Amino acid sequence: MFAAVRSELTRLRQPRLLVTWFGLMTLFAVMINTIMVTYVSGGSSLPPGAPGVAFPTLAELESPSGLMSGLAAASSMFGVVTLSIWAVVTAGDYGSGLIRLLVAAEPRRWRLLAGKVVALVVLTAAATTVAAVVNVLAVMPAAGAAGISTAAWGTDLVPVVAGAWVNLFLALCVWGVLGLVIATLARSAAVAIAIGIGYVLVVESIVKMLEDVPSDWLLGTTLNAVASGGTATIAYGTALALALGYVTLGLVVAGVVFVRRDVTD
Amino acid sequence: MSVVTTTNLTRRFGPITALDRLTVELPATGVIGLVGPNGSGKSTLIRILLGLIRPTSGSASVLGSAISSPAHYASRVGVLVESPAFIPGLSARTNLVSLARLRHVPLERVDAVLAQVGLVGRDREPVKRFSLGMKQRLGIAAALLSDPELLILDEPTNGLDPAGIVEIRELLRDLGREGRTVIVSSHQLSEIEAVCDHLVVIRFGELIFSGPMAEMMKRTREHIDIAAEHAADMERLEAALAAEGWAVTAVDDVLRVAAAADRAADLNRAAAAAGVTLRRLVFAQDNLEEIFLEMTGRVDGELANGRAAVDEKVA
Repeated sequence: MFAAVRSELTRLRQPRLLVTWFGLMTLFAVMINTIMVTYVSGGSSLPPGAPGVAFPTLAELESPSGLMSGLAAASSMFGVVTLSIWAVVTAGDYGSGLIRLLVAAEPRRWRLLAGKVVALVVLTAAATTVAAVVNVLAVMPAAGAAGISTAAWGTDLVPVVAGAWVNLFLALCVWGVLGLVIATLARSAAVAIAIGIGYVLVVESIVKMLEDVPSDWLLGTTLNAVASGGTATIAYGTALALALGYVTLGLVVAGVVFVRRDVTD
Repeated sequence: MSVVTTTNLTRRFGPITALDRLTVELPATGVIGLVGPNGSGKSTLIRILLGLIRPTSGSASVLGSAISSPAHYASRVGVLVESPAFIPGLSARTNLVSLARLRHVPLERVDAVLAQVGLVGRDREPVKRFSLGMKQRLGIAAALLSDPELLILDEPTNGLDPAGIVEIRELLRDLGREGRTVIVSSHQLSEIEAVCDHLVVIRFGELIFSGPMAEMMKRTREHIDIAAEHAADMERLEAALAAEGWAVTAVDDVLRVAAAADRAADLNRAAAAAGVTLRRLVFAQDNLEEIFLEMTGRVDGELANGRAAVDEKVA
């Protein structure tokens, strides 16, 4: 499987792909931190169930973990970007016809799939690092300009940064697997991205509005909880377990389909 | 020894039978041409042999291993399936390096195959800047990476200019002489005729012919093409020759007479006796294309399959 990972990492060295991925992570990190600080310092709060973002309170923002709160706030946006990139990479093999060459070279298809997942996880770690670094660089001047106290931000710096990084990384891996699964089923990046974004922005929002339906188990809610280290409605451990369930189910479906399905046009 | 053996190999796609109980043995020697009209089942056969799709029924083996375990022979087989497929934003070299890593091939082979297909000097350019011909060469380079015993090339000269076609033809011949077996699927029958030692003809998923090229060319029919000095005399000439028992067919602007070369003088005398002066009298033999069309009919397989599917639904 190591050969498949190295091969996939070589193919992922596409300048346009990496610039797009890391560029969007940078853009959203800057944007969300600027908006979040402005919003929170002005005493505003987002309506409950607002799709995609969850802002901290002023007290949370001024606490030691406030330094990294932008990562959790933008986790759905980072997630959609990650889902899209994983989907583009996966569906791209079908669109270009490269999948024929790859399967002919390595007929043990599960190795190809595992190689792709591991390689994308490696790049997701890099993308998470980009988001974390940009988050720190963006939130400091934004907080200073908005008059938010940053006195506590140096406390427990390493655990706070490492914890936020790990949480976002885990959430993004699940988002990515979702993109890979849909792209494997649809063999189309556009369809996979449309389904992914449509689900987060439309389906989950609608379900959350239905008061009789419990929404804590929903994918977006679960991954927000993972990225935030747990929320008021879902504990971190529960969120991690649910996320693991989603990943396992997704990889099993993608694996069975990829291994058994004909490789045609 | 055979490189490929199939027994009653069948593959259906819904109502369409792409391969119909195909039983064939391909010898481990030289260059083998795989020809057939569009939709005849060539690509389906190649995909089954490579483990890309599974047969509906029947069995097959490649290099002695069953196709149910393609991992047993994948490292010994190089492929170019349909159009060459690469990541356009990456250089030719990086694309090959990625495949070399997947196949556990030393990276020195990348330089060797780039030189073999004449892409040295262009290998650091992104593939998106390549012409179709250059992509085709890169596809062949990818197929050669693992120094395979068996090469399966689908339309290897597609998109190449005449000089490129000659070059690839020489390359295929050399590969065959080196002791590899090269299976070439192509629509360009002149290329197949020029390069191949063995020929397999498929139509509607069924085997029409499998044997040495020389045996196929024995089916060649001799004929003499003639034309009257004045076009107005052609009909009279055709009628006169037919009346004397010659088998005459009007083809374009000539009359094609089924006759061996040694009957040319008799034919000339018969024309003179009919009062017609010939301005052209040329002896010719069928080429592979003519034999192929005679065997397979002038039918587009995909259209025929489509019609068959519609008929089946209607029935």
